[in-house]
This record gives sequence, C-alpha cells and structure tokens, in this order.
Amino acid sequence: MTNQLLRRLTLLPLILFVASLVIFLLPYATGVDSTMAVIRARVGERVLTEESIERLRVELNLDQGLPVQYMQWVGRFARGDLGFSYVSRAPVREIILRGLRVTSTLSIMALLLAIGIALPLGMWAAMRPGSWIDFVVTLTSQIGVAIPQYVMAPLLILLFAVWLDWLPTAGWRGPLFMILPALTLTMRPLAYFTQTTRAAMLEVLNADYIRTARGKGLSPGLLVRRHALRNALIPVVTLCTLWLAALLGGSVIVEVIFAIPGLGRIIYDAVLAGDIPLIQAGLMVIVAFAILINTLTDLLYIVLNPAIQLGDHSV
Amino acid sequence: MRRWPTTIYLGGAVLALILLATIGAPWLMSAHPNTQVLSDRLLPSSTKHLLGTDHLGRDLLARLIYGGRFSLLLTITSVIVAAVVGTGLGALAGWLGGLWDEMLMRLVDLLIVFPGIIMALVIAALLEPGFGTLLLALTITGWTPYARLARALTLEVGTMPYLEAARALGVSQFRIINRHVIPNIIGPLLAMSFLRFGHVLLTIAGLSYLGLGAQPPTPDWGAMIAEALPYMQRVPLLLFVPSLAIFLTAFSVTIVGQGLMLLFDPKQRRL
Repeated sequence: MTNQLLRRLTLLPLILFVASLVIFLLPYATGVDSTMAVIRARVGERVLTEESIERLRVELNLDQGLPVQYMQWVGRFARGDLGFSYVSRAPVREIILRGLRVTSTLSIMALLLAIGIALPLGMWAAMRPGSWIDFVVTLTSQIGVAIPQYVMAPLLILLFAVWLDWLPTAGWRGPLFMILPALTLTMRPLAYFTQTTRAAMLEVLNADYIRTARGKGLSPGLLVRRHALRNALIPVVTLCTLWLAALLGGSVIVEVIFAIPGLGRIIYDAVLAGDIPLIQAGLMVIVAFAILINTLTDLLYIVLNPAIQLGDHSV
Repeated sequence: MRRWPTTIYLGGAVLALILLATIGAPWLMSAHPNTQVLSDRLLPSSTKHLLGTDHLGRDLLARLIYGGRFSLLLTITSVIVAAVVGTGLGALAGWLGGLWDEMLMRLVDLLIVFPGIIMALVIAALLEPGFGTLLLALTITGWTPYARLARALTLEVGTMPYLEAARALGVSQFRIINRHVIPNIIGPLLAMSFLRFGHVLLTIAGLSYLGLGAQPPTPDWGAMIAEALPYMQRVPLLLFVPSLAIFLTAFSVTIVGQGLMLLFDPKQRRL
C-alpha cells in the first residue's frame, strides 16, 4: 500500500509538468500569432506600424523563443504571478481568483444538493428492487442524464423567472441568483449519483455478510446503517470527487446562460477575444485542480480498499 | 445469452426513427430549412407551417428535421473514430504489457484531466469552427475511456484457458487479437459506445449553443435553442421543439447503452 501511495505521488509532478507544457503550447500549436492577437484584442482592427508591432513584441517577451517563454511562464506561475490580460490589462491572477470563487461556490452547492437527494433516493430504490419505486427512480435518473444544461436552464428560466416570476432570470447578486444555476448544474451529477448509489447498494445487499447479518435477525434499518452503507459509499465518494473536478471545468454553459462571472465564462470570453494569458492561466487552474482531485481520489481508493492494485490491474 | 431488456428495443426504435427522419429530410420536407420569409416571422402553427416559423420566418418543422444532420453525423463519426482508436490502443497495451502499457496508460492519465467541453471550446475557437476541427477536438480526449475499458477487458480475457491453448498452438498474435480477444470484449465496448454517443451529442449541441459548433445558417438543435431564447416568452414552441429533439435522442441512446451494459455485465446478470 505504501508503495502504491508513493508511486502515485511521484507521478503527480510529472503529469503537472506535461499538462503545463500542453496548455502553454496549445494556443501556439493552433497557429495564432500572439502579437497580432494582442493588437486585435487591444485596439480592434486599427492599422499599426511595423515599429509599434515590434515594440509590443519586445514588451510582452514574445521576441524570445518558445522554450524561454515557457520557462518564464512556469516560473512566474509558481510565484503566483500570472501576467496581465491582453484585453483588460488587469492582473490575470485577480481575474482568475474572482472567477474561481464564484465557480467553486456554485459547484459545491450543486454537488451537496446532488448528494443530499441521490443518497436516500438510490438507497430507497435498492432496498425494493423491481418495485414501482425502483422503476420511477431509475427512469427519472435516466431522464436526468439526457437533459443537458442548455435545455434545463432555459426551461427553468421560462417557468420560475418568466411565468411564475419568483426568481431572477440571470446575474449574480445574491443567494436568490444562485438557485436556478445550482439546480441546472445538479441535474446530471444527481442522476449519476442515484444510479451509482442504487447499484452499489444492490451489490452490497446481496453480499454474504449481509445475508448472515440478516439471518441473525438484525433489523433492516440497523442492517443498512451499520453494515451496508459504509461499503456502498466507496464508489459514491469517488464519483463525488471526480464530479467536483468535472463541475469546476464544466460550468461554462451555465455561466454563459445565467451571466455568471465564473471561471468558465472568463475562459469563454478569453477564447473569443484571443486573450492568450487568460486562456492559459484559466486552463492551468482547472487542469491543476483536476490533477489534484484525481490523485486524491486514487489515494482515497487505496486507503479505503487495500485490495485494489494501482498500475497493472487498475481499471 | 439472456433475454434482451425491453429498453433496448424501445430506445432503438426511437433512435431509428430519428435517424431515418434526419437522413430522409430532403424527401420528407418540401420546405427548405433556410428559406427566410421576413413577413412570416414567429407565426403560430398552421397547415402551411405545421410547427409555425422562427424569428426569421423559417419553417420550424423543416429546421427540426434538418437540425440533427450536423450534430448526429459529427457524433457518429467521432464515436466511431474514438472507439476504434481507443479500443485498438487499449487492447494493444493490455496485450503487450510492459513499457508500452505503462506509456499508454500514463498518456491516458494525462488526457483525462483535460475537461472535454473546455478543450473542445478552446480548440474550436482557436482554429476555425467546423466539422474537422470539432472532430479533432472531440477525438483527442474522447478515445481514453475506450482504451481503459479495452485494456482491462484484454487483461481479463488474456488469462482465459482458450487463449493459452491458442498460443500453445502457435497462432499468430495478430490472429489471436483479431479472432479471440476482440470478439470477447466487443460487447461492453459497444455498450460504452452508446453511452458515449449520448455524452458526445450533448457536448456538440452545447458547442453549437455557444456558437462554436454548427455555423449559421446551418440548422442545428443546439443553435436553435440559443436563437429561441429572446423569443421564448412569446413563442415557447421555438424552445421546446429543439430541446425535445436533443433530449429524446440522448435519452433513447442512453437507455440502449444501459440495456446493453446490463446484458454484457456478468455481475448484473444475476440480479
């Protein structure tokens, strides 16, 4: 077990390094001339002289080779200096941190909502397999998987904001503004959590040790709480951590629809404007989170279940 | 093999209908999806326009029927490419083992941390949005789940006695993979392809919604939702129609996938 933990941890910096390289090179690999991107971003299509273009190139260190630029970028990143936006010229660090705060609030709300509903629902269905409750829960979760955010959000807006006029349509100015986006974001994780809880619970309830406990005359409530729940929760916990990473990187559509100043929306705007430092920093933050969360999940898995072997037989 | 779950037939039938309508659009519809009649904007349903017209006076039914062409063709192409590449590499890694296996699986570990929609967004925006760009963006991250599954299945199949027998008989590696390994792992991979189909379709429609998928005036369900938003209070049908199309396609493909998974998963079979 210690070996596996160490192995996983030594991989962490390697994956971070390669990921940072990919992210840094991505805008260049697509053939974007970054100097021209800056000019377009800053002054629109106005014509500039050769001389001023050259000055800008030197000012932004773009006259150096890519390896030098990469080293400078990583060095500054490690010190927390992410450079300045090409468009607004504001420090990228401030922009990203502000967006991250919004997106993480939203993601955690959606995740807690999903767990709170999915756990009881999945367990309820698993305890009565084949019943109409099981059928309704399974069907609802299948429907939930098939409803994307851009279908869910307009319908919620139409119902709760336009027709009923209970909630604001868009914006980010207080708790009321969080309800519809959180509801939209929670749909898919809720559906997946319910299915996973149900399947895991069914598997555990069919295990031998549960049958023994039942044979000893243990009450169904105690049986679930004491014996079944703990083991059924392992796959659900891992799924939760993976969804946290997915939500942090996947809230762009919700943020665009509801005009929320989160990380996804910032990257979307940066992409449309060709704001390369902001794109790189935003991607790097999301990917770094995903790497950390993936590693934590693996570690959690090893600790919770020593029978799992990383590497050769990991699926 | 046990009885096929009814959901497979049900989902399969709906899916077949949607695909047939999409392919047969030019023969089904007399109205062209891009013909604008600005005097006929936002009309309610009538005998001339069964579902009414949109904000540019285009026939909504025609746009609905044509609206799946871009997304569905791209989804099917992308799923097939990703499945073939992923399965091939995964099965090869599981079969060869050693350094090849290690390198490929670390590559998978690396790619899996890049969130699909953001990567597709960045690549689609930096290159020109279009069919080829999107196919590239979706395939770069899309093949990894197949590789993981194919590798795990190959490892499982690899220890079976009949493979040992084949190896002892001196059957070539290529023939073993082609004749013995792949047929035995194809079921779960097929199930995964259907589940990924739903996922990829929703991603593509999402990119179209954001303006980075199908470009106007190409009719596309995702873009139709985005176009409907300013008018949804006056004509909710403009929103409901493409929403329902996306949902029905994703739903039917998902229940087929989950049905197939049930069919091929030996653990689930007992339940």
